[in-house]
Amino acid sequence: MDIFFEQYFDLDIMRDNFSYVLEGFWMTVQIALVAGALSLVWGLVLALLRAAPGRPMKPLRGLAITYIDVFRGIPLLLVILLIDGSLPVLDIFPQWLRAPDFLGKPEIFWYGVMAITLTYGAYYAEVYRAGLDAVPYGQMEAARSLGMSHARAMRHVIVPQAIRKVIPPMLNDFIALMKDTSLVGVIALVEVVKAGREIQAETFNSSALTVGALMFIIVTVPLARLVDRLIARQQLALRRAAP
Amino acid sequence: MESMLRLEGVHKSFGDLHVLRGVNLEVARGGVVCVIGPSGSGKSTLLRCLNLLEPPDDGRIYLEGVEITGRDRRGVDFVRRRVGMVFQQFNLFPHMSALQNVALAQRTVLDRPEPQAREKSVELLTRVGLADKADEYPERLSGGQQQRVAIARALAMDPHVMLFDEVTSALDPELVKEVLDVLRGLAAEGMTMVVVTHEMGFARDVADRVAFIDEGVVVEEGEARALLDDPREERTKRFLGAVLDH
Repeated sequence: MDIFFEQYFDLDIMRDNFSYVLEGFWMTVQIALVAGALSLVWGLVLALLRAAPGRPMKPLRGLAITYIDVFRGIPLLLVILLIDGSLPVLDIFPQWLRAPDFLGKPEIFWYGVMAITLTYGAYYAEVYRAGLDAVPYGQMEAARSLGMSHARAMRHVIVPQAIRKVIPPMLNDFIALMKDTSLVGVIALVEVVKAGREIQAETFNSSALTVGALMFIIVTVPLARLVDRLIARQQLALRRAAP
Repeated sequence: MESMLRLEGVHKSFGDLHVLRGVNLEVARGGVVCVIGPSGSGKSTLLRCLNLLEPPDDGRIYLEGVEITGRDRRGVDFVRRRVGMVFQQFNLFPHMSALQNVALAQRTVLDRPEPQAREKSVELLTRVGLADKADEYPERLSGGQQQRVAIARALAMDPHVMLFDEVTSALDPELVKEVLDVLRGLAAEGMTMVVVTHEMGFARDVADRVAFIDEGVVVEEGEARALLDDPREERTKRFLGAVLDH
């Protein structure tokens, strides 16, 4: 049993490397927040394209559906490698996209953000779609009968209601997104998992990775509890609203 | 008599279900027409065709003499700026206060500046007796109050015609009167109204004319009291016998 604790909970190793792992975790948090915010926007765009009405919009709907299918169907790790391996040499794209350096972050930070956004945008689009579908059709009819266009009705009436409904599943997906940021470690960005692995390779001991795991848990468990509370609140509101 | 709405041979199907089978109807400017009929007869579909929420498959509809059927998409804007609609289920926007519900389309569709939209909203909420509820959200309002907000919301667009689709059917009995009183007031002010209703007392008191619809056609149409007291058609007699019998 001692060997188990020694491998995973060596307090000396944990203490000595805490600040390095924490730095990695801070990187993880930054990627997750930036990619999460961009995914929220991109997912909404995709969901709205998918919900665009009428025959003229049919090609756009088709494109949105294809995109969502494709990016939900391929692993994030593969998207990360596709971007990192070839985007820098794709001179059909402008320089700011091939070698992004916004906010003083390195290219690989942005490659990771891009890959996560492309993938999670597709997931979020599906969550938004469920939210849009959950708004009663009478809301759209009421807005339209007041003379509002489809776009106006979406913006002022449907989307605000849909977003309220999807906050809990969005947070759930954000937990998944945050954990998936560890995949960015494969393209040499030192986030928390890669930081832990470096220590593991030096010390032949996994305790630094345990520290990383604990950091994840400190953030994700409260998020999970928050999701539960939000869902409970929505259930209560639903029960109260029912006649 | 000047015609506000005229329907000629209007047809509407949903898949295999042929709901409207050639409806002819005329509504005079300032007139109040109550549409009655058994459930499933096509009353609601008829109203929804009138403001193009459901475009008719065939036939013609004229609003203030202008044909609104056909392929021209501008038809929809023309219609929706002149025709207000109130629904059985109120359909208030739950994330907005009563005042915001009334003001939203004024701001976004009519481009009324905020102060004017607000002033108009307060005025209309006062008119439906809800000035003190302006800042309440729909979930805090009774069904009757919600429906009155919905009426104010439609009136805020200065419609030329108001369509009422069974606006008291989802209400508890003690709340029906407060909503019908608002409709009475509107009728008295000369608003053109098409009212789908099961309230025969209201139809008798307020409507100029009554149209009885069954199986997607207007079976009988005429002066309200005459039709309700002394229907000509057998189907009308049977329906009125059944609804007045309890």
